[in-house]
Amino acid sequence: MTTQKVPLGDREVLRYRKRPRIVHAILASSFLILLLTGLVILWPALSFLAPGGATRWLHRVAAVGFMSVPIVYLIVDREGAKELMVDSFKYDRDDWRWIKRFWSYAFGHTANMPKQGRLNAGQKMHHALVMLLSASIVASGLALWFFMPSLGPTGQAWAAVIHDLSMLALTLLLVGHLYFTFVYKALSGMTRGYVDIDEARLEHAKWVEELEQEAAEEAAEEDKQAV
Amino acid sequence: MSQYAFLLDLGRCIGCQACVASCKVGNELGIGQQYIELIEKTHGEFPNLTGGWDNHRCYHCGDAACIAVCPTGSLFKEDGLTRLDRSTCSGCSYCTEACPYDIPVMWEGKSSKCDGCADTVKAGGSPWCVGTCPSMALEYGPREEIRAEAHRRADALRNRYPNAQVYGETQAGGLGMLVVMPDDPELLDIPIDPKTPFMAQAWQKIVQPASVGITIGAAVVAGAAAVVARRRHEEELDELEAAGVISGHGDEKEQEEDE
Repeated sequence: MTTQKVPLGDREVLRYRKRPRIVHAILASSFLILLLTGLVILWPALSFLAPGGATRWLHRVAAVGFMSVPIVYLIVDREGAKELMVDSFKYDRDDWRWIKRFWSYAFGHTANMPKQGRLNAGQKMHHALVMLLSASIVASGLALWFFMPSLGPTGQAWAAVIHDLSMLALTLLLVGHLYFTFVYKALSGMTRGYVDIDEARLEHAKWVEELEQEAAEEAAEEDKQAV
Repeated sequence: MSQYAFLLDLGRCIGCQACVASCKVGNELGIGQQYIELIEKTHGEFPNLTGGWDNHRCYHCGDAACIAVCPTGSLFKEDGLTRLDRSTCSGCSYCTEACPYDIPVMWEGKSSKCDGCADTVKAGGSPWCVGTCPSMALEYGPREEIRAEAHRRADALRNRYPNAQVYGETQAGGLGMLVVMPDDPELLDIPIDPKTPFMAQAWQKIVQPASVGITIGAAVVAGAAAVVARRRHEEELDELEAAGVISGHGDEKEQEEDE
């Protein structure tokens, strides 16, 4: 999402516009369906749900939804998608310092953390890992879906193991994602789009300062025009 | 648990297809469904031809690759044989790719292969193919007895076929099908020493349980830690508010009222 002309209220700040929120909803819902339908053939206690192939069908439908996320994102919010892509792989000095103090942040302390931009270093790493692991889970999933006869026994086993380990890593990232959402009360950013201004100031100081500067410049421009 | 096995004497097989037919009829297999296929294999050029009938059917591996990759437990070992419960098969077809003998096939969306006539044998009968074979090329019984019989037959064959051997004692963890071969297995395109790839064994035995365990463990630890961390964060916000650094974070109620 772009940070231009973002409404900056007294108590809240717009964190995610509607379009990225929709993209996130597609990603989250397809991921959860994939996780649950995948568990059916991973956890023996759930294997009674597998006969009939309904869960496989659902898994494949959700896989199409999951794979469509980058395309949908580029269509509905090209600038935002590009920004997320670039930001997630760009780390400045403050980011590295933030990573060194990660545990303090993980346990609820924002004081003494280096100032962060719209994405903190943890979010950048999270997004980068999600992108890389998604690539590996999609590649191994497509191999198992379309190319199984040519994989051979060893290739099939490798594809299955890569698929499972990628999902394990993504699920652990999801656990971390939910953890920080809860600790820093960030859920509203993805439901209504707005987050608490104080939380944003503490956790994304550089971003809020940018927004304040933009708001001040806009106000000054309006004043000039009024005069 | 008793270990049972088939004896398949390729020195006696006359390729009559009786086993194929009786298996199909006895097990009431559907149209296009088949557990045994006789494939004539020849090597060399006339008049120096070698070969014979490849009795293409489940070898009931001791360490069965199909079982290692079956996600639903539909393939399992019982009495030394590899059974298949089609009612629980999800139709993933992993077994068809994993089998080193290329045995399971998909039929009507589910795996299909010999299950050693489980129902018939449990009812006191013998497998349909064994009961029908006119040349006594097929036998069924306790594995040790079958193994001894296989060696007796291979020894007898060796007078005429010097390469006669028993196949299946050690292959794939020891087969539930001991095959008396007049010549080397390669001549029938049967793999000499098929193995389940390590990764196929590791997938469901190590990777999957570890994945579930790690995920549950992480979720429990993160859940407990999140409660503590959120409390600490709220304390920090209170301190910052008291110090006038922030304007007031905990006014959620007030916000809701405003909305």
